[in-house]
Amino acid sequence: MLISLNWLKDFVDIPASANPRELALKFTTTTAEVDGIEHVEPNFTGLVAARITNVERASGEDMLRLVTLNAGKQYVTLSAAPDLLAGKTVVFGPPGATVGGHTFGETDPAGRKSQGMIVAGQGLGLVQIGANALFLPPGTEPGAPIDWALFDDWIIEIDNKSITHRPDLWGHYGIARELAAILQSPLKPYPITDPALLRNDALPEIAIEIDDPMLAPRYTGLMMRGLKTQPSPLAMQVRLALVGMRPIDLLVDLTNYVMAELGQPMHAFDGAKLANIQVGLARPDERFTTLDGVTRTMPPDTLMIQCDRKSVAIAGIMGGADTEVGAQTDTILLESANFDAATIRRAATAMGHRTEASTRFEKSLDPANTVLGIARFHKLATDELPGVESASTLSDCYPAPRAPNPIELDCDFASRLIGSTVTPESATDILTAIEFTCEPLSNQSLRVTPPSFRATKDVEIEEDVIEEIARFIGYGNIEPELPRMTARFFPSSPQLAIEQRTLDYLCLGNDFVEVYNYIWYEDEWLKKIGFDPGECITLHNPAAEGCARLRNTLIPGLIAFAERNRHHHARFQLAEIGSVFHHGRKDIEAAQHRSLGLVAAQSGARSDGELWNRMRKILDGWGRQVLEDRVDYVETSASHPWEDRDRLAALVVGNEEVGRVTLLPLACSQRIDERLRSWSIAIAELNLTALSERHGRHEKLVAPPKYPQVQLDFSVLIDATQRYSAISKRIAEFEHPLLKRLTFIESYEGKSLPPGKRSLTLRAEAGLDDRTLEDKDVSGFQDAFRSFLAGQSIELRG
Amino acid sequence: MNQTALQDLLVRIKADAAAAIEASESIDGLRAAESKLTKGPLAEALKSIKQFSADERGSAGKAINETKNAVKSKFKAAQDALRSANIEGERKRAATFDPTMPPTVSQQGQIHPVTAMQREVERIFTGLGFAVVGGPEMETEYFNFEALNIPEMHPARDAQDTFWLTNGWLLRTHTSPCQVRAMLRWGAPLRVIAPGRCFRYEAIDASHENTFHQLEGLLIDKDISVAHLIAFMRLLLREVFQRDVKVRLRPGFFPFVEPGFELDMSCAICEGAGCPTCKKSGWVEILPCGMVHPNVLRHGKIDPRKYTGFAFGLGLTRLAMMKYGVADIRIMNSGDLRGLVSPARLSGARVS
Ligand SMILES: [Zn+2]
Repeated sequence: MLISLNWLKDFVDIPASANPRELALKFTTTTAEVDGIEHVEPNFTGLVAARITNVERASGEDMLRLVTLNAGKQYVTLSAAPDLLAGKTVVFGPPGATVGGHTFGETDPAGRKSQGMIVAGQGLGLVQIGANALFLPPGTEPGAPIDWALFDDWIIEIDNKSITHRPDLWGHYGIARELAAILQSPLKPYPITDPALLRNDALPEIAIEIDDPMLAPRYTGLMMRGLKTQPSPLAMQVRLALVGMRPIDLLVDLTNYVMAELGQPMHAFDGAKLANIQVGLARPDERFTTLDGVTRTMPPDTLMIQCDRKSVAIAGIMGGADTEVGAQTDTILLESANFDAATIRRAATAMGHRTEASTRFEKSLDPANTVLGIARFHKLATDELPGVESASTLSDCYPAPRAPNPIELDCDFASRLIGSTVTPESATDILTAIEFTCEPLSNQSLRVTPPSFRATKDVEIEEDVIEEIARFIGYGNIEPELPRMTARFFPSSPQLAIEQRTLDYLCLGNDFVEVYNYIWYEDEWLKKIGFDPGECITLHNPAAEGCARLRNTLIPGLIAFAERNRHHHARFQLAEIGSVFHHGRKDIEAAQHRSLGLVAAQSGARSDGELWNRMRKILDGWGRQVLEDRVDYVETSASHPWEDRDRLAALVVGNEEVGRVTLLPLACSQRIDERLRSWSIAIAELNLTALSERHGRHEKLVAPPKYPQVQLDFSVLIDATQRYSAISKRIAEFEHPLLKRLTFIESYEGKSLPPGKRSLTLRAEAGLDDRTLEDKDVSGFQDAFRSFLAGQSIELRG
Repeated sequence: MNQTALQDLLVRIKADAAAAIEASESIDGLRAAESKLTKGPLAEALKSIKQFSADERGSAGKAINETKNAVKSKFKAAQDALRSANIEGERKRAATFDPTMPPTVSQQGQIHPVTAMQREVERIFTGLGFAVVGGPEMETEYFNFEALNIPEMHPARDAQDTFWLTNGWLLRTHTSPCQVRAMLRWGAPLRVIAPGRCFRYEAIDASHENTFHQLEGLLIDKDISVAHLIAFMRLLLREVFQRDVKVRLRPGFFPFVEPGFELDMSCAICEGAGCPTCKKSGWVEILPCGMVHPNVLRHGKIDPRKYTGFAFGLGLTRLAMMKYGVADIRIMNSGDLRGLVSPARLSGARVS
C-alpha cells in the first residue's frame, strides 16, 4: 500500500526537520514494514489552469487538435490528448513554462506553430493519468497558477503482508495515528460532517434489512442529490494518483479518497434505481453481472446486496451493472457497510475476483467506520459542491452492536513477558496514546479497553495488549538476557541420528556430494526414462504442469541430476536423503518415509565391475559403521527401468529387504542420451526410516590368539553362472574345532580354467587356544575340509 | 691338518671373502656369502683345531679367530657401504619426487551447504540443551494451521501459499507444526529445534523458492521473556557468522506468536548496499519469531498461565546463502555440482 506524506500531514504535525527516511525506519521498527520510500519532486514551473474555448481538427494528422485556450490570456496550441472539449479546464504550460527541464515556446518540436502545451498527467509524474490531460473542476479560475507544493511529496510503500492483521492501517488516518504516537504529537480529529446533522427525520429513511448480522454486522446508507460528474480538485487527483489510484471523476474519486484515508470501501448506486436494501445470500447458481461487464455464477454462500430481493451488488466485492451511476444520475445511494471478513474472502477467492474493496473487507474492518466513511464523504462533497444535499436521513442498520471487550492487564506479567519493567503508569501512557482506555483495577493491574478500530480481531487478549506496550518501549531498548532454564533430558531422534551418520559416512568419508531434489516428479522425465510410478499422492495445485505427482522413489531425480552433471564432470557420486510418499495409506506417518538414494557415475570405457565393487564396498562399510549390522545381497528380479536384471540385488538387513542396488542398464541410459553409453552408473536406494528403528548388533571384540594360527587358501571351481551367495552359504556350514574364520579372497575367471567355470579362493584361519598346532593338526583340518567339499559336490581346484 | 694347511685354508677364506664381497650386489647376497663362509670353511677350520697338539692349539686358535674377525668386519664394512649406496641411489631417485604436486583426482565429497548450515545451528542449540527433532513434510491441516492458531479463512493462510494435496493433506508451509507435536510429546518445560524442508506455492526466482529449509526453535519454561528471545537470537547469529552481526527487530504478525517479530540482519551478500537477494533494502529477513501464543500452548496441552515461551523459524536456506555467498537460491535444489561444490574440490587443485 502506498502512503503520501503530505496526506499524513493533514492529520498529524510532522516537524519540517524530520527526515522522512528516518521516519519510515522508525515506522518499520515500531509498527509495520516499509518496503520503500521515494521522494516525489515537482518537475515544472509556470503551469496554469486554462479553459478550452475552441477545439478544431488540425490539418494533417488524425489525432492532432488545434486548441484555443483562455489562461488569463488567449493561446492556440496543438494537442493529441484525448477528450479535449470546449468548456473544459486543463493544466496548461504557456510559452516560457517548463516541464522536466524542457521550456515550452511558440512552436511544437516538429516546428509547427503551437503556443505552449496542454500537459499530460504522466508528464508530471502521475503515471496513473497517462497521456490524458489533467482536467480541473469547472470553477477553476483561468490563469490560476498550479500549486507546486502538491507535487512535492514522499511516497511510502508499506508491505501489505505486514498489515494483514491491522485493518486500521489500511488508510492514511490509521497510519497517521501510529505516527502521532511514535512522534508523541497529537492526532488531529478526523474532518467529518457531524453524523447528528445527517440524521434528519424530515427526510425519508432507506429501509435496510440484514438477514444475518453475523455475515453483515452493519449497513449504513445515505441518499445524496446534486453530485455532478466533474473533475475532482487537482489536490485530490494528485494524491490519488501518487498512491496508485487513477482519478476518474468527483464521485468515484471521493469514494476512493475516503477508502485511502479510512480503509472503508463505499459504493454509490444510482439512487433512482433502488429504494430499499436487503443484505442476504445469493440464490443457488445465481448469475450476476458486475459493473465491469462480466457475468459470473455466484459461489455458494456469497453475500449479495438486494433491492426488492433482486441482487444489485456482490457485497464487499463489486457493484452491479444495472444500478451503475451514469451521466443522467441525479441522486446516489451511498453504501457504507461492514461485512464478515471470512465470508467476503471466501466468495472473492471462489469467484477469482478480488478487488480493492474485498481486500479490505477481508481484514475485519471496524463497524464504526460505516458512519465515519459517509460523514467524511459528505464533508468532502459539500466542501467541493455546496449545492449537494441529502435526499434521505442517515439510515443505519446495526442489529447487534459490538460491546467493548475490556482486557485485564497484569503489569507484573507484562514485565515478565517483555523482560523490561512495565508499571501501570508507563502502560497507561503508551496505551492512551494509541486510543486505548485504561482504568486502574489494583495497584499492579489495569482494565484496558481497545478502541473499536483495534477490537475486530487484532487485540483480544492480554498478550495483544502487552505487544502494544513492548513495541512502543522499543524492541531495541529491551536489554537482552539469557534465561534460567529447567534441566531436562530429551532423548535424541533415531531417525535424525541415522541420517546424520549416513551423510558423514558418505560425504565426509566416501566422496559423495549431498544434493536436494524437488519432491515431485516431472512427468516428461519419467516418460523419458520409461518409468511408471503407479498411483501417487498428487498435488491439487502443482508448481507447474506435469509436476503433480509426489515421488515414491528418489532414483528418477538422481538419474536426472547425473544426466545434468555428466556434461561437466568425468566422475561423481551423488547422495540424497529425502522424503518419499505412498498413495493409499490412511495414517500420515505411514504415507511417507525417509529414503537414501545413491548414484555413482564414471565416464570412459564402461567400468561396470569396478563401479559395482565400489558401491558394494561403500554399502558394506556403511552397514558396518552406521548400522552396525550386515547388509546382505539377495538376487531379485528387475522392477524399475533403471534396474539391470542381470546386475541387481536386493539389500537385506536382518531378513528384511530395505533397499536395492543396481547398475544402470544400457537400455535405459540409451533412452536418456546416446552419449550415456560410455558411462557406468551404479544406483542404490535404501529405506532409512525402516532402518532407524533397528538396533545395531554391537559385535564383541576378540582377543588376539595366544598361539600362532595358520592360514590355508582353498580354491573351488564352480560354474561361472553360479552365485557366490549360494555357494558361500553352503561352504559356511563347514564346522571344525580348529576353524577360526573362513573368508572370501577373490574370484577368478581366465584362460587357465575350463570354459564356463570360475574359481573362488577362500581362506581358512585355523588354530587352537591352548597350544601351537602340529603338522598333523593342520593336515587333519585340510582333510576334513576337503571331504566336506566333496560331500557338498563342490570341486576343489588344483 | 697341519699348520701349513691351516694357513692355506685361512688365506683362501680371506680370498673367498674378498671375492664374494666383490661379487655381491645386495645385502642379502652378502649375508648369504658370509653365512656360507662361516658355516663352511671357517667352521671346518675351527673343527680342525682338535687335530693340533696342545702347544700348537694356542697359535692356531688365534689365527682362526683373527681370520674370523677379519672376515666379519670386511662383510660388515661391505654391508655398510652398500646401505650408504642404497640411500644415495634412493635420494637420487627422490630428486624427481615432487611433494608439492596435487593429486590427479581430488575428493569432491561434501554435505549440502544447507545441511552444513543446519549442523552449525544444531551444534549451537544442542550446546544450550535443546533437543533436535524431525517432522513430516506431508502434514495435516490441523498441525500446519489450526493448532497454530490459524483458523480457516484467516488472511494469514493467504501468506502461506499452500501446496494442497488431493488427499486432503498438504505440504507443510513451515516447520512450525513441529511446535505442537513436540509439546504433545514432551510437555513443559521444553527446548527443541526442528530443522526441515518446507514448501510454499509461489513463483521461483533468484530469491524465492517453493522448496526450502527452515529451522524451528521453541523454548518453553517459567517466565520466558522477549529479552531472553533477543539474547538467544543474537547468540545464534554471532555463532553462525563468528562476528557480531547487525540485526534489527521489528513487529511482525504471525498468528502463533504474540507478540511477534521479524528479525532482520544486514545483507551479507552486498554488505548492506542493496542487491537482488535483499530486494535492494540492505536487510534480509532471516527470522520470524515471537512469544508463543497462549492458544498454541493450549493446543499443546501446556498451561499458558504456568509457562511462557518463545519460538522462531530460522530461514536455513537463506542463512546458508548469506554464509556461503550464494546469490541465487535456485542453486540449492539444482543438483548442479558447479554451484554446490567449491570449485577447488571439483576439478583438482587450482593453479596458484
Ligand atoms: Zn543485499
